[in-house]
Amino acid sequence: MPASDAAERLLNLIIALSHARGRMTRAEIRATVSGYDPERGGDTADEARRRTAAFERMFERDKEDLRRIGIPLRTVVDATHGDDIGYVIDAGEASMPPIDMTPVERAILAVAAEYWQNAALGTDARRAFVKISSSMPRAEEVPLHLAARSTEGSDAAPTLAQAIADGQAVAFTYTSAASGRGERVVEPWRLVVRGGRLYLLGQDRDRGEARTYRLSRIEGVIRPVGERGTFEAPDEVEVLALEDEVPTLIARIGLRAESGHALRRRASFVSTAGEWDVFDVPFSDTEALRDEVLSLAGAARVLEPEGLAAAVRAHAEAALAVAGAEGGGRG
Amino acid sequence: MRSRGRKGAVVAEMAVPRLTRLLGIVTHLEEHGEATFDELARHFGVATETIKRDIDTLWCSGLPGYGMTDLLDFDGFAYDEGIARLTNSQGVRQVRLAPAEAMALMGALAAMIASGTAPEAATGALAALSAAVTDANPVTVIGAAPVTPGVAEALRAGIERKRAVALTYVDAQDRRTSRVIEPHRLVTVDGLGYVECFCRRAGDYRTLRLDRIEAAGETDDAATALPRAASGFTLEPAYNAKVRVARAGRWAFEDLPGAVLTVDGDDVVATFGVANPDVVVARLLAVAPFLASVEPASLRERLGGAAMAVLGAQ
Repeated sequence: MPASDAAERLLNLIIALSHARGRMTRAEIRATVSGYDPERGGDTADEARRRTAAFERMFERDKEDLRRIGIPLRTVVDATHGDDIGYVIDAGEASMPPIDMTPVERAILAVAAEYWQNAALGTDARRAFVKISSSMPRAEEVPLHLAARSTEGSDAAPTLAQAIADGQAVAFTYTSAASGRGERVVEPWRLVVRGGRLYLLGQDRDRGEARTYRLSRIEGVIRPVGERGTFEAPDEVEVLALEDEVPTLIARIGLRAESGHALRRRASFVSTAGEWDVFDVPFSDTEALRDEVLSLAGAARVLEPEGLAAAVRAHAEAALAVAGAEGGGRG
Repeated sequence: MRSRGRKGAVVAEMAVPRLTRLLGIVTHLEEHGEATFDELARHFGVATETIKRDIDTLWCSGLPGYGMTDLLDFDGFAYDEGIARLTNSQGVRQVRLAPAEAMALMGALAAMIASGTAPEAATGALAALSAAVTDANPVTVIGAAPVTPGVAEALRAGIERKRAVALTYVDAQDRRTSRVIEPHRLVTVDGLGYVECFCRRAGDYRTLRLDRIEAAGETDDAATALPRAASGFTLEPAYNAKVRVARAGRWAFEDLPGAVLTVDGDDVVATFGVANPDVVVARLLAVAPFLASVEPASLRERLGGAAMAVLGAQ
């Protein structure tokens, strides 16, 4: 089924569950809500099972999508029908409260909605902006001479924001400079943004104390652990020392005047040589530093180590091959 | 917006963003009365065709039974004139911000405020957002570099009145200089505030860190240098690019906004809108050994130019 129909099905599901008298069971949803594949009389037992399984998968996905946009389905168990679970949406609880915002404030929000280059954070921010815009009057665009962009983002951030709201513990694989790679089980309290970096602050269950985790060092999928509502974040959280990468290597890099600000910020100045300001840059990830030098497009040059300089040259030469040839660069 | 697996499989717009817009259109029409498809397209930042398709979808949605009185309803005559006039909403309303949505937008806004680039009104916007969120705000933003009070205001006034601004600036080597700049735009990059400007002392375009500006005062001197067309980044995609890359280089394109990736044998073909060529060129350089082809020619030229510059410097 094409994805465009999923929006239509979800809309019909929202309308049905908002108007339901009491509740709707899965069977009622499947039989009556437009977009689901109802049971058919002529099916063999096998076909019927296959269709039912497909409906169950689709309904679970739809429940997850509704949760993602802020409409949690309430489950209602009806005593007279045994353990048959029904669903309902509290339309009042789910609806967007009135929001009072000037056209200038909305224009600033439009800039903020484009801040995250990360796909997960970006789509969430843009969706929030559409929601805020819905009830606002149409207005002429306000020119702001303002822009914002963040290159660091994490797919983990939306998952963690939901877990914080749910009061649900999470488990993930984490690499720390101090204690290496391992599994962590954490009660998430808050996300912290400093500069371009994202951190999670929470209670580490195994260590029994509050810790911070840099999101870019969480590997793979974040898994929910246990029930929702098992803990509450303290109201006032003291933001602890934020754990950063511990760089172990030093690169000597030349930068042209007033360029490479991100590099300058974490480097120590060595000397000025002609049109180049020379810095010692601590680093731990050769590929990341190579890409940073490349992105400065000639405003940076690697003096040491030679391996890094060679990698920069190799990438530039490969790019030149692709740029020069209509067809291909590889091979 | 991504497809996985099958060759040539292109997935249409994802359900969740579309659903959010569908709810938004109904809420907007309920609160502000009829609107033309063009007006809705501008307000929601999509094409007029997309709005028309949305109205068509809304028109055949409603309560189980889906009879005449169960459906959302629009005025058919108005529809033919390109006007959305809602006559029955079936109680459909926009939904409140989900925790992840609130976090993403409030985090971005707070980062802009902390970086010193956001005008006064940003504080009001953040307060209005906080009031609309029922869960506790899940994000704390810590300013990375404090900006001297008055600096951003003087720069903003200079931008608006097209006047030069006199600065005291301390560079990374702790050299204090006086310079006159023509400010064009304030930008937040990775949580730090900058001003994009023409620096008269350097005789060239510069991007200066706000936290390194000790003092800024407006002059009566009119700005003469035009904002550099390529300066910083514009947020509207200017054109579409198509890149063929070996699977090992796939990561560089996965998180570009609006990117559609299709798998073709051992390669991945990525198509995406290019808003800021500098960002795209940096990504292309990072995966250069895995690239098979880059289109259009203008992007290839920029890539070639950047590669030449890198080799020249190196």
